[in-house]
Amino acid sequence: MALINVATREIHCKVVYYGPGMGGKTSNLQYIHTQVPKEAKGDLLSIATETERTLFFDFLPLDLGTVGPKDRKFQVRFHLYTVPGQVLYERTRTAVLNGADGVVFVADSQKHKMEENLKSLRELANNITKNLGKNFREFPIILQYNKRDLKNVATIEELDRYLNPPAMNLGWQRYPAVAYTGEGVLDTLKAISKLVISKL
Amino acid sequence: MDPQLTSQIVPIEEIRQIEECLARLVEDTSGNYVLLLDKSGQVIASQGDANRQDITALGALIAGTFASSREVAKLLREKDFRSMFTQGVRDNIFLALVEDQWILCIIFNKGTHIGLVKVLTKKATDALAQVLERVRETHKAREDVLGSSFRTSMEDTIDLLFRD
Ligand SMILES: Nc1nc2c(ncn2[C@@H]2O[C@H](COP(=O)(O)OP(=O)(O)OP(=O)(O)O)[C@@H](O)[C@H]2O)c(=O)[nH]1
Ligand SMILES: [Mg+2]
Repeated sequence: MALINVATREIHCKVVYYGPGMGGKTSNLQYIHTQVPKEAKGDLLSIATETERTLFFDFLPLDLGTVGPKDRKFQVRFHLYTVPGQVLYERTRTAVLNGADGVVFVADSQKHKMEENLKSLRELANNITKNLGKNFREFPIILQYNKRDLKNVATIEELDRYLNPPAMNLGWQRYPAVAYTGEGVLDTLKAISKLVISKL
Repeated sequence: MDPQLTSQIVPIEEIRQIEECLARLVEDTSGNYVLLLDKSGQVIASQGDANRQDITALGALIAGTFASSREVAKLLREKDFRSMFTQGVRDNIFLALVEDQWILCIIFNKGTHIGLVKVLTKKATDALAQVLERVRETHKAREDVLGSSFRTSMEDTIDLLFRD
């Protein structure tokens, strides 16, 4: 839940990058960290295994600047987190998701990953409903179809059919991306920031 | 509280009361540092050791620890872990929940007995629970902060920040 501190005039929002293992969640934060000017970010904190897989979370605080009419300006801060995607860490994901205001779901576009994507998305839905106690349909979610640079990827339309089926009418925005080169990463971040703010 | 409510507003008066409560806890326990966090890891207020630079990361880590202990509790069919004690060589950390929304964190050293910390923390969390109760009632004031001009201005700022 976003926190609005009237004394310090700050608004804090928490955004979590969710999705299957090796999908590119950490790469998103790493890229963002290289792009945002120094004065607008804190250190990137990563709790990872020796093989660079996320063990607990990555954390990047961002300062989006001051907004609002002159007499009531607020400093807007976003805290970005990633969850560990490996199946083993299900409960850890629940813990990191605690208090989230929005989610970027990073899907792996490779054809053989479709089942994993879907499993992870179902788990997310379940977590939002049961552990956050929120309505999944109204919860701010942006999809990212990552790893578009690889050869064996499903088409955008195929991914839509799996993860954003028109019949479900969820209407999530989705962004194709190549997280480790940064393609689509900032567009995704921009979209989730706007969505979260619009629902405050 | 409405579970679909997406933001919590902490007014100036309540922040003042929180800071007073935290300051008293620092003083009575000779603690180095006291933090009040939202369960999402955001720092609501802090007292003591004024020049901590790492406070944002500290908040994220402590809230993460607490949230993961809650998952452990579920696995053990324990109702909830309301508090946690971490003992270091030099510093100790004691964490306690304020209802299910906030986490009170106190960092203190060897000179202070944990028993005292526990007793005084309990007093503080009871007081903070009352503040929290009032904060929960203040969401009437949200339109003051989050009016439409705020949203437009926010959108512009985001566009500016991410312009190509
Ligand atoms: N080809 C390709 N590789 C990518 C892309 N994005 C990330 N990777 C690589 O995929 C691997 C996993 O990326 P991470 O960002 O660590 O994935 P993660 O989702 O954080 O994984 P977990 O922490 O285990 O959940 C790394 O070797 C990345 O360099 C992409 O768009 N294309
Ligand atoms: Mg990772």
